[in-house]
Amino acid sequence: MKPRKLIVNLCCAITYSFLIPSVFAQSDAQFAKANQEYADRNFQEAIDDYDQLVRSGQWSANLFYDLGNAYFRAGDFGHAILNYERALALDRHHPEADANLRIVRDEARALELTPTLVERYLKFANVNQFTIAAAIAIWVAAFCIVALIFARRRSGAAITLSIVSLSIFAGAVFAIYELDNGSNGRALAIVTGMNVQARVATADNANSVLALPPGSEIRVLSNRGDWIYAALPNSLRGWVPAKSAEAVRL
Amino acid sequence: MNGTRRRRTAWRVLLVGTLGFFVVVCAFADSPSATAVLSNSEAAVGETVQLQIRVTGARSADAPEKIAVDGLQIYRTGTSQHFEMNNFNVTSSVIYDYTILAMKAGTFKIPPQTIRLGGNAVHTPELTLNVADSPGRSSSSRSNRDAQPESANQLVFAELVVPKKVAFVGEMVPAEIRLGFDPRAHPELADGPEIAGQGFTTQKLQQAQQNLETINGRTYDVITFKTAIAATRAGRFEIGPVKAKARVSVPRRQTTQRSRSRPFDLFNLDDPFSDPFFADPFGRLAERREVEMESEPATFDVKPLPPDAPPNFSGAVGNFAVTTEAKPKRVQVGDPITVTSTVSGRGNFDRVNAPALEDDQGWHKYPSSSKFKQDDEVGISGAKTFETVISPNEKKQALPPLVFSYFDPVKEKYVTLRSDATPISVEGGAAPAPAVVASQPGAATLATAAASAKPSPKPQDILYQLTERPKAAQSFTPLYAQPLFWTAQFVPLFALLGLISWKATQARRENREAQRIAALQHEAAELMRKLRRGDSSPQEYFSQASRAVRVKTALARNIDPNAVDAETAATAFDLDENERTQLRRLFERSDELRYSGAHNGAETISPESRREVLDLLESLRT
Repeated sequence: MKPRKLIVNLCCAITYSFLIPSVFAQSDAQFAKANQEYADRNFQEAIDDYDQLVRSGQWSANLFYDLGNAYFRAGDFGHAILNYERALALDRHHPEADANLRIVRDEARALELTPTLVERYLKFANVNQFTIAAAIAIWVAAFCIVALIFARRRSGAAITLSIVSLSIFAGAVFAIYELDNGSNGRALAIVTGMNVQARVATADNANSVLALPPGSEIRVLSNRGDWIYAALPNSLRGWVPAKSAEAVRL
Repeated sequence: MNGTRRRRTAWRVLLVGTLGFFVVVCAFADSPSATAVLSNSEAAVGETVQLQIRVTGARSADAPEKIAVDGLQIYRTGTSQHFEMNNFNVTSSVIYDYTILAMKAGTFKIPPQTIRLGGNAVHTPELTLNVADSPGRSSSSRSNRDAQPESANQLVFAELVVPKKVAFVGEMVPAEIRLGFDPRAHPELADGPEIAGQGFTTQKLQQAQQNLETINGRTYDVITFKTAIAATRAGRFEIGPVKAKARVSVPRRQTTQRSRSRPFDLFNLDDPFSDPFFADPFGRLAERREVEMESEPATFDVKPLPPDAPPNFSGAVGNFAVTTEAKPKRVQVGDPITVTSTVSGRGNFDRVNAPALEDDQGWHKYPSSSKFKQDDEVGISGAKTFETVISPNEKKQALPPLVFSYFDPVKEKYVTLRSDATPISVEGGAAPAPAVVASQPGAATLATAAASAKPSPKPQDILYQLTERPKAAQSFTPLYAQPLFWTAQFVPLFALLGLISWKATQARRENREAQRIAALQHEAAELMRKLRRGDSSPQEYFSQASRAVRVKTALARNIDPNAVDAETAATAFDLDENERTQLRRLFERSDELRYSGAHNGAETISPESRREVLDLLESLRT
């Protein structure tokens, strides 16, 4: 049984190794075509082509950046901001996406969520970097503790290093939690609809809490049917139609 | 077990303490007293008045069934007992209800009544009842009221009080709804109240107070609801009636027509409380009945507003004042400025909109948010605060005045309030006009976070397309949620397990060596003890001595003691020639005795030889 399983796995691996370059070649062609459509000012066609690549899972910061540009040219500021945000979610130091996002936000008068003080301090690194820091710290601490357990004499340096490593680990885990659940975390969504109003209840005729221009940031707290309960800019909360907003992280 | 017992004891102490407290409280209750009140001190001939005698501080008393007064018929119609607890002070009281029928006109004195309480007696005060001469009720009217529903309706009433009869369209007119219930009928408001009618709006009803009132000789529990009414059109129309539903307890309906046959209606006055049910509701079956309460409508004349309304008039009618404030005072072009304006006063605040900029040229205005803080129960007096975010599109030196218009119904004219221009400093060039503006009617708040990026003086264009793609697709999944990350953790995990394994083996090995050394040390000490004792045979003595040398040498050199000979031991302890000779002799003697038998040589060892061997062994130190 085991050798047969091994053979099947091997066959799959070989097949994938042949298929992957082919898929990449296809998506490269599609990307080039989309860029050409954009250059020819056929923005809607370019959007369709970029969208196909997005749907196929061939995500990259540049792809979302280009898609954002296409949406901007087509006059859809909400989707433009959404795609710039996606580009920055994949590569937080994407300078072009950052610059264009500022321009579009300015044009759209989109509202932004205010990051908390903790989030502002933790912005020097992203979730992945804090994850790596946490992993390294916990392993260093584990090695130190093992060494301390088996050592004949307790080394002060090992104890200090263990404490420092555990502290770094705790801090990194806290940072991951804060960033992941913060204003720019997993729940970040962008308003893409026009004339969107956040309301106090899940009804179109309920009182309005906030007018949300396209491209405004919201943080999804929960979903109920066709409505999203979201944290809004200005520390408000309200219900937003689910079809009017899209999550940044796919 | 001890804990359970302790808990039980604590509960018992608590229970006894509580009971004791109540006993003490009851013991310190006030001494008995009696009061007597008439529901009305004025009556007409043929009318009834209720007399209530309350004996406080007693659970039972002996009150007269009938009070004899010439010209009045006074019969006891009920007894009830009340317990009240105020600040842990329990008071019990017995209430005796009497119904008085005035038989003739005049001023009657109801004499003090003696109420017996066991061995004591208390006395009620003397009461005076004035009876006016008036025709008695006809027997036909009484017979009409014999029907049960009419009796039930006597237990409740509804009233709409609108003090102002003339108002302007939109003017808030305070109104009161009074619902009265006879407390003896155990009333319960089932539905409402609601004000029927069209052409006006009402504020949400607020229950203001609940009082006991005597109306036409009857005591009612009156609940007052407050509201405010605003007409939406001009003209004369009726407000109301107020409708409500209540559930009351009435004696069960009799199947046969009763006139004078009702045994408890002593005066044949169709008083529903002449039934003993009200004295003892549990004594017989009661009937819960839902009764509809309906007031008389109120008429209202509504005048139209004058036609010359200011352009920014939003329908506010009343009397208002406005204050404004703007922050920050120093901004760049395009930066948000929050203008806080408060409209306070009295009027229809639901029609009060935010004060508007007198000149909004060069300003971009976002929808306002508002909050209202009312100063009264019905919300016609208070302060409505608006926060409006505006951003300058060009250089400015002052915020234009804000204007707010309303109609003053007292002065009967429109009033426009105008704030002063607020000096501010706006720097920078002209901002681009916003491409998309969410200016929805009714939108509440606009974030000040908008336009956090400062607009540039000239319109900007987005950057170029990027034609490069990475070789591998990127993922939004955070690293900690990726299987590869957790797989990679196996590397340090295995390394850690390897370290633990190595350290554990090393520790075990070190432990074995330590055990061996300890065993050798123990053996050396034991041999030395035996040698000092000196009760061994020469064969044993020299064998033990040579073994002691071997063990000491093994400890010094960390070698097997069986592999030690005289030369090895001498080298290990760096002995001089004399000691080497002694050591060699010791080993030879030991071998000789071991291999040649015990009878070869002397039977005992001389003390000098013993001393010499011991000295040699003790000199073996590294």
